[in-house]
Amino acid sequence: MLKILIPTLFLLPTTWLTSSKWLWPTALTQSMLIALGSITWLNNTTDTGWTALNSYIGTDPLSTPLLVLSCWLLPLMLLASQNHLSSEPMNRQRMYITLLATLQLFLILAFGATEMIMFYVMFEATLIPTLLVITRWGNQTERLNAGTYFLFYTLAGSLPLLVALLMLQNNTGTLSLLIIPYAKPLLLMPFGSKIWWAACMIAFLVKMPLYGMHLWLPKAHVEAPVAGSMVLAAVLLKLGGYGMMRLMIVLDPLSKEMVYPFIVLALWGVIMTGSICLRQTDLKSLIAYSSVSHMGLVAGGILIQTPWGFTGALILMIAHGLASSALFCLANTNYERTHSRTMLLARGLQIALPLMTTWWFIASLANLALPPLPNLMGELMILTSLFNWSAWTLILTGIGTLITAAYSLYMFLMSQRGPLPQHMLALPPSYTREHLLMALHLIPLLLIILKPALLWGWFAC
Amino acid sequence: MADYREAPLATRPKTLDPNEYFNLSPDYRRAEAERAALRAGLKRQYQLQLNNPHRKELIEDPALNRWVYARANPYNHFKATKKTSLLGALFGVAPLFILYYVFKTDRVCYGGR
Repeated sequence: MLKILIPTLFLLPTTWLTSSKWLWPTALTQSMLIALGSITWLNNTTDTGWTALNSYIGTDPLSTPLLVLSCWLLPLMLLASQNHLSSEPMNRQRMYITLLATLQLFLILAFGATEMIMFYVMFEATLIPTLLVITRWGNQTERLNAGTYFLFYTLAGSLPLLVALLMLQNNTGTLSLLIIPYAKPLLLMPFGSKIWWAACMIAFLVKMPLYGMHLWLPKAHVEAPVAGSMVLAAVLLKLGGYGMMRLMIVLDPLSKEMVYPFIVLALWGVIMTGSICLRQTDLKSLIAYSSVSHMGLVAGGILIQTPWGFTGALILMIAHGLASSALFCLANTNYERTHSRTMLLARGLQIALPLMTTWWFIASLANLALPPLPNLMGELMILTSLFNWSAWTLILTGIGTLITAAYSLYMFLMSQRGPLPQHMLALPPSYTREHLLMALHLIPLLLIILKPALLWGWFAC
Repeated sequence: MADYREAPLATRPKTLDPNEYFNLSPDYRRAEAERAALRAGLKRQYQLQLNNPHRKELIEDPALNRWVYARANPYNHFKATKKTSLLGALFGVAPLFILYYVFKTDRVCYGGR
């Protein structure tokens, strides 16, 4: 673990001490080496499952895929940001890279934490660099509103979590993730238990986000610069899912009654946000609502607490992380050329930028869960476990899958086919950097097809 | 450079239609001429921007900006009328209760089948 943490920590002096000519190549190389080093975590050697274990941090088959995803994303974020930051003063560029690196550090500590309070502190700590990136480097005036929504929704959700965790610590004596699965469940008065359950889950449900509490997400994703959108969509949403999966084991007998409203919200949210996607005019807003839709399925899969549900949720989280981040990068390539997120303005790009169309096509297919991509595998596992839970969910998830296919195709056809606007003159051809960025997103997604067992979590059998 | 064509879907103004021209009053013809002058001014602005060799950015269309803003900010102008309340209850509130009831009965009575 220290092999990855120390280089990530020392990315901070690197950004401030390298000369301006070598800043970006150095930062990229260092973060890429960290990412390649993090892939070694996927090798799960111990019988108990917990590898790289010490008193504070450890990795297990649940956290390893998410850790590798966060480490993999940092070089991609730096690649994506290089163009729009090149015109800014050096100190601001260094500050940006510092914020991304500290976010990375907090994310690694959050996913690797074995103690729930450490996870909680890191969970909160990730909000700060993200807030700074959204409010300081966003492009429209709405970014302040977006930052406020983002910060306060998540904070308001997580304060009850702190109280709940402290109550658990008081009761059980420990909050170590290795021990609390075996501890006695918390037995308060009946109503108190329900409030305690809700307090544990609300923070993560707001983060995921669940349909009723999702208002922060379109704002934050749209107003953030490309690296902010990438990390939000790919990793920060998954912090919510990861926290839910960890705490579900502790909350067990209470969950049978309490999950119904949230599963209902999650599944109805899949359909509603999918329908909203079909009416969007703003490309980034469409991708943001599609994130809510996919995460609704993930929330449904986690809340039913079955092995297949958890496995499907984990696979879908990783696959969605890569695909959604790829789509945000593609949206950014459009934005850098036209300085507008309106889909109507950037139509017919297949004629102008044919090579980018390949990446648009693969990313859209990934979003609509085409087999044999892991997006479909995750969705299918969640669908079948939900069907086992109650047969009526199939109607909702079926319509949800249909609407997902509809809006993904709509996004692809709107941006690639159709007439090219006649007044667009200066469309620089796709840079090699952009092609590399898209390749680094989509090639891991395609490689996961060959060995999905890496992502199955605890129930790989 | 884009070629200029007449808008094929726009209706031909009455003043340009020889069958109607002599039925119209001089005031109406004057008003039509003024409106045509305004339209020609707008088209001239667009053509100047379109054929400007030093232009690097997109031509800004204020109508498109207004439309995008309207689509992106519905809540600022939301009013709770009978129709909107009905839609909200039908799609936002009732399904939650109906689905809760459906799932609960299915799992409790039939064991999820």
